Amino acid sequence: MKGDFAIILGKELRRIFTDRKLIMFLVVIPMVMLPLIYTFMGRANRSRIADIEGFTPGVAVLMPHDPSPEATEMLSALESADFRVLLLEEGEQDSAKALVSSRELELVVELPGEDLSGEVTVFHNSTSDYSRTAMEEITLIAGALNDSLVRERVAGYGLPPGILTAVRLNSGGDLGMYDLAREGDLMGKIIGMMVPFFIVIYLFANAMKVGLDTVAGEKERGTLATLLVNRVGRISIVMGKMLSVMVAAIVGALSSMAGLKIASRQIIGLFSGPGEVPGGYAMTAADLLQFAVVVIPLAILVASVVMTVSTVARNVKEGQGMITPVYIAVMVIGTTTMQSGDVPPRWMCLVPVFSSLTVMKQIFMDASTWDQTLFAGASSLVLSAVLILLTVRMFNDERILFRL
Amino acid sequence: MLRVEGLTKVFPGRGGRKTVAVKDLSFHTMPGEIYGLLGPNGAGKTTTLRCLSTLLKPTAGNAWIDHISVLEQGESFRSRIGFLTSDMKLDGYFTPEYLTDWFGRLNRVPGEVVRERRKALFSELQMDDFAGRRIDDLSTGMKQKTAIAVSLIHDPDVIIFDEPTNGLDVITSKAVTDFLRNKADAGKTIVLSTHMMTVAEKLCSRFGIIAGGVMKAEGTLQEIAPGGNLEEVFFGHILSGGSSDEG
Repeated sequence: MKGDFAIILGKELRRIFTDRKLIMFLVVIPMVMLPLIYTFMGRANRSRIADIEGFTPGVAVLMPHDPSPEATEMLSALESADFRVLLLEEGEQDSAKALVSSRELELVVELPGEDLSGEVTVFHNSTSDYSRTAMEEITLIAGALNDSLVRERVAGYGLPPGILTAVRLNSGGDLGMYDLAREGDLMGKIIGMMVPFFIVIYLFANAMKVGLDTVAGEKERGTLATLLVNRVGRISIVMGKMLSVMVAAIVGALSSMAGLKIASRQIIGLFSGPGEVPGGYAMTAADLLQFAVVVIPLAILVASVVMTVSTVARNVKEGQGMITPVYIAVMVIGTTTMQSGDVPPRWMCLVPVFSSLTVMKQIFMDASTWDQTLFAGASSLVLSAVLILLTVRMFNDERILFRL
Repeated sequence: MLRVEGLTKVFPGRGGRKTVAVKDLSFHTMPGEIYGLLGPNGAGKTTTLRCLSTLLKPTAGNAWIDHISVLEQGESFRSRIGFLTSDMKLDGYFTPEYLTDWFGRLNRVPGEVVRERRKALFSELQMDDFAGRRIDDLSTGMKQKTAIAVSLIHDPDVIIFDEPTNGLDVITSKAVTDFLRNKADAGKTIVLSTHMMTVAEKLCSRFGIIAGGVMKAEGTLQEIAPGGNLEEVFFGHILSGGSSDEG
């Protein structure tokens, strides 16, 4: 009967949304997890930057007995910079390099003798933040010194300094003025990378939490048989339970999006350069509609997958074992969507879940099309229908339902 | 009236080996009658009752309540039975009150009728004191009473209970048997499976003794045990029972 699934759904939802532990897992954790993660990451990042900025790198310099003029200039530039300069004697280079390897010293600089003129050799440790930053700093110092010396020499020949640069790229004003991205596009790209991944993860996590219990758990506890001996049809049972799993999955996805909104300041800080403030992103009504056309069928698909596994499994533990490879595959697909370019290869758009996530990403980047959106939504629904039919068949098969 | 004819259930096993749990079982019961299906563990009682509840599909044979077939009209058949077996449990998160109402709605009983029946069942089974407590927090006896109330909220014509007094203390056990007798007096058809002869002798008006999935004897106490000793007759039949495995 038409209303039977609603009665089943009502009980399942009551079971889910009156249980404090489940609400904590399904609603609160997805909402607070992202702000917590990004607050922690932001603080850690700021603390790391402050630590590096406050640190004075140790630079061991080997000055030859017959230094070239460039070597003398370079030593002077290093001593003027924020470095702790230690002068090495000939033969001490190897022990100084060992100190760089063991992160007790940041750089070893070998300045050129008269015969090598401007040939400076710098040894660093790429695994040390201090050493890497010192290397970047010394590269800038060497570049600035090179420019200054070359300008002096060119001027000595009576030529203008501009003769040294034949082509200039964006040399005037703020670099930002050359970026023609629309207001909000950068934020849309950042959101587009992250939201689809978190949506699919929380859709799946919540569906697993609720869905494995709803059939496999009921088998295990002996409550499924109590339900089956009533007049309600098996299709109504499957639909009622599946819809409750879908609702739980969507609630988790919405909570994670709310968490993403709360965490957006920290995320912007992590993804944008110092001092940059990306424009705000806003979804239009059409974007929201496209988003719903993709997300709701995806939630139905995820709920159907979990329900199918839950029906096959003898108990929750077996169900967890069966669903783990699927969850890992979904995580891989989610990560691939984050990493994939703006236009992934066409064949990848035929992969279930990936097509939905790609469309979501494109909606945020204002690059989606309705035919892609409808294809992604329809493919999720077709696959869900197949899984629901399979689950209903299994519900009528005593060998599977009672594992005879 | 419940009529079972030629009921057979064969379970597939490993390596093509099959287990015949019930073989060509036939019996019938009338309204107002308590029919005792007796047999030791593994005799085929629970399998028979599970076939009658549509949890299992018979390999052969059929059963009817009036003219409704368990094979062809499963949903209608289920709406006419109240089924309870020891391995069927209730969701411990909910209260007896909520679950009884919910199962009533699931069986399409109008809300007002559900409330009246619940009130009557809770009073009869002395459940009022724990009606609002979570099932997880109830004792075995309280859980069993709740399971009985849930299984009967739609006022079925046929009540099928598998070992309903198993694991209960004497007081709860008596409450359950009194309850069943009252239901029979009210015209319900009751099928009861048990291996406890004392319970059967006190409650049942007719008996079927099963061993190895086969009906060994059927009739009133006078018909199957003219001397009046049901236990002696029961042991006589089960000790002569054969194997039920088929290659």
